[in-house]
Amino acid sequence: MKRSFKDDFNMMAMLLIPIAVAVNLVGFQLANVLRLPIFLDTIGTILVGVIAGPWVALLAGLITNLINAIFNPVYLPYALTSMAIGVGAGYLSKHGFFKNIPKTIVSGIVITLIAVIVSAPITVLVFGGATGNTSSLITATFLASGQELWTAVFSSSFITEVADKVVSVLIVYFIVKGMSDRYLSKLNYGHLYMKRKNKK
Amino acid sequence: MKHNFLLRLHPMTKFYFSLFILGIVLILPGYAVAFSIFPFLILIALLAGVSKEFLSIVLKALLSVLIIVFIMQMFFYPGENILWEWGFLQIKQEGLNYGLLLTSRILAIGSAFILFFRMTEVRDFVKSLEDKGLPPMGAYVVLSTLQIIPEMRRQANTIMEAQKTRGVETEGSLLVRAKAFIPTLTPLILSSIAGTEERAITLESRAFSAPVKKTSLHQLTKSGADQVLPIVYVIIFVALLIWRFFL
Repeated sequence: MKRSFKDDFNMMAMLLIPIAVAVNLVGFQLANVLRLPIFLDTIGTILVGVIAGPWVALLAGLITNLINAIFNPVYLPYALTSMAIGVGAGYLSKHGFFKNIPKTIVSGIVITLIAVIVSAPITVLVFGGATGNTSSLITATFLASGQELWTAVFSSSFITEVADKVVSVLIVYFIVKGMSDRYLSKLNYGHLYMKRKNKK
Repeated sequence: MKHNFLLRLHPMTKFYFSLFILGIVLILPGYAVAFSIFPFLILIALLAGVSKEFLSIVLKALLSVLIIVFIMQMFFYPGENILWEWGFLQIKQEGLNYGLLLTSRILAIGSAFILFFRMTEVRDFVKSLEDKGLPPMGAYVVLSTLQIIPEMRRQANTIMEAQKTRGVETEGSLLVRAKAFIPTLTPLILSSIAGTEERAITLESRAFSAPVKKTSLHQLTKSGADQVLPIVYVIIFVALLIWRFFL
């Protein structure tokens, strides 16, 4: 089935965006309350990518960062990262990468790579290599041991991102599994995850 | 009705001002100008009567980033002129300069945008974007997101309390705390998603996606200052560009 760019934006998909943004923010807050060492702030974006497609997820990622930027402008440049994560998750879902646990873990690693490749240049060019989260400490350690700035930022952000993204995609996998067929049938990519296979 | 002249300006006028600051900071060399923009922004915040919130958000959001960025550049930026040395730590003149440049830019640009959102209601800003051609659906998505976030926070707390009552542990080792995450988040997401169907029906019954021009109860007006100020920004910006690159 061929889909055009515009087909992705139906009413249900658009109404999913506010939920996704709120899930991103609340997930981050919950991770803080439970004092987990990871951020879990992209669950909503990935979820939208999986069930509503890459372009809707791009918008969800963008809006998440715009709203975060109202209170902390440091998040603004990272809108690019969120958007890339959304598009990545959407395309992976299109090719059936969220159908079982091993494939989901693979897509988690792919999403980590996307996140690192997009966010490391932002960290280096806009903030000179550090923004004050946990990965800054690792970056500083790498730099002190004599590594180049770019290598240090890439490797430290990979270390902090990989656990975060793999856990996030697994949570998304279980949430999609818990959705009803009736709901999934209303979303563009939902038919991929319906339990009763329709004849397509 | 807002009585303050600055607060009454059209959202776009204020938004262009933030972009204007961004432009100035990026084209001008050195950190002196960029740092001097900050007191100027404080002055605007004082005149608009939002200085308290403005300063507290700047402190909360930017201070830690500025300190860390500065320390990183001071110690790790490559350079020749060593000012101070202790073991493997070296402070270099080049690093000090680059650190000051970077922090001055982050401070000026970051606080310009913080000031913008302290002086403008998001509702007005979205409305002005809609006037500029943002589809009504986009405006709806942004505004409903802002409403959903606090609602969902409350719901998350409720679910967490409920799960604690039935014996889900939220204190203890890392694994125990991590295990509490899923039984809180999954019901939250599934229940909020169930609500989208009702919302879609409500919107459709009000002809939300009908392909006609919509009228709005919320109107924004442009005063004389809103006509003049953007032109002033452009003139100053172009003058600075010419001064920087041609003189």
